[in-house]
Amino acid sequence: MSYLRLRRLWKPSPLKRRYEVVIIGGGIHGLATAYYLARHHGIRDVAVLESQYIGFGGSGRNTAIVRANQRTVENVRLYEEGLKLWRVLTDELDYNLMFFNCGVLGLGHSEASVSAFRMLCNTHNFLGVKSELLDPQQCAEMIPGLDISDRLAFPVQAGLYHPPGGVVRHDAVVWGLAKGASAHGVHIHQGCEVQGIDTEGGRVTGVRTTLGPIGCKRLGIMAGGYGGAVAAMLGMELPIHPLTIQAMVTHPLKPFLHHVFSSGAYHVYANQTLKGEIATGAHMDPQVNYTNDATAYYLKHQAEALTELIPALRGVRFMRIWAGLADMTPDMAPIMEGNLGYDGLFLDAGWGYFGFKSGPVAGKYMAEYMATDERPAMLRAFQLKRFLENRYSGETAAAMKYGHWD
Amino acid sequence: MTFRLTCPVCGKRDVYEFTFGGQERGPRPGQEGLSAEDHFRWTQYRLIPYAPGEEWWYHAQGCGLWFKTTRDPATNREVEE
Ligand SMILES: Cc1cc2nc3c(=O)[nH]c(=O)nc-3n(C[C@H](O)[C@H](O)[C@H](O)COP(=O)(O)OP(=O)(O)OC[C@H]3O[C@@H](n4cnc5c(N)ncnc54)[C@H](O)[C@@H]3O)c2cc1C
Repeated sequence: MSYLRLRRLWKPSPLKRRYEVVIIGGGIHGLATAYYLARHHGIRDVAVLESQYIGFGGSGRNTAIVRANQRTVENVRLYEEGLKLWRVLTDELDYNLMFFNCGVLGLGHSEASVSAFRMLCNTHNFLGVKSELLDPQQCAEMIPGLDISDRLAFPVQAGLYHPPGGVVRHDAVVWGLAKGASAHGVHIHQGCEVQGIDTEGGRVTGVRTTLGPIGCKRLGIMAGGYGGAVAAMLGMELPIHPLTIQAMVTHPLKPFLHHVFSSGAYHVYANQTLKGEIATGAHMDPQVNYTNDATAYYLKHQAEALTELIPALRGVRFMRIWAGLADMTPDMAPIMEGNLGYDGLFLDAGWGYFGFKSGPVAGKYMAEYMATDERPAMLRAFQLKRFLENRYSGETAAAMKYGHWD
Repeated sequence: MTFRLTCPVCGKRDVYEFTFGGQERGPRPGQEGLSAEDHFRWTQYRLIPYAPGEEWWYHAQGCGLWFKTTRDPATNREVEE
């Protein structure tokens, strides 16, 4: 019965006092960067430092939806490559990432959203990414039980269906990447919190951690929603607001929901997991914070929104609720930077609630950036300085507002 | 878990009664001689460490007062002074 024997996916490594590259954060962005540094660039002297356990952050808490139906060319291209990587990585890591290519349906409830869907659909098709416009009847055929009648305060007016999307098992991605990185010689240190960053003469020289100082030539801040707090250790201000975002699952039901669906107007998105639960996510809490606080307030809101759209779900019970962080930028696009203020300092942050689908592809390009010191063309649109040059990404029509400012 | 904030008029109330108004950052920089870059920095850049800071809140579903209180983003809770 040797196939039942448990084997460690990655091996514990001794903590060295110096590495060529140190990465702060054991989420998929940090792990993917480490993996590609070792695999594509031969840089194996890499440590991933994780204050809790790998996958503690957004990587183990997200609703695992993957898609490429963004608004701007730069973002569509990035996420499209991201989508293609799931199959490649499943093979490469020899680990089942459970990519379920079920397609993603967005629901529009206003004239404005119908015209936005038209624009999105044409953008996607122009770039060779599949998307199609559906009428309410077609939406109801895809989502059994969806109420497309006039009973709703905001009846369904159209759908934007994006066949290449779906869900991927998020824990598997964390574990698979840890396995792959470790196999290529990367050290993963859990329970190692970075508390300070050392610099000398305009260069990053290392970090101070709960396990002592660790020197490095290059440092990647890939701490997900905590990125702003890590940058604050250097007194660095960022256009990032960390907000808590909640998610929850119902008890398992017979399979009936075969696609991911979302509704901006009702602030709800949902899919049925392979176990049968309806996994659904919600609003963000408005105040900046670094906790994983979940609240009954959103449980109630979510129940109302879900049963409004699919009345047959009334009486179904939520089993679990949890929360994680979304690091929001003003234009809903990420920040990927190198030699930021200090030589050797790299930053990958501001992914908001888009950081799961982009994890591996961001890691691939951040690794290239860290290995070569040259900004990959793919990352040109994601520079920090765009916010100071009034060149927002165009993912949103207007700059987002998190808390009041003027 | 949800938590409560202290409104100077209504006392401790559920946080969902309030609207977050952002960090207290002193007066807005004057328009005179303000560079575009400084303006963008003021509107969008923030320093949000694991430490208590003063913030603005609006008691939207209560008495309608704008007030300041001290809260720690690391714990999400108000800090008693
Ligand atoms: C409820 C929810 C739903 C979401 N749904 C989706 C979705 O459907 N699709 C999608 O694409 N994205 C989604 N996201 C967003 C996505 O989960 C994140 O953007 C993504 O996981 C970020 O990955 P990361 O590796 O950058 O960060 P994380 O996974 O957050 O990892 C960062 C790690 O850094 C560690 N860390 C922090 N500070 C330090 C320190 N000082 N020293 C050492 N380690 C430190 C943390 O413990 C953490 O493990 C969702 C997020 C949430 C919370």
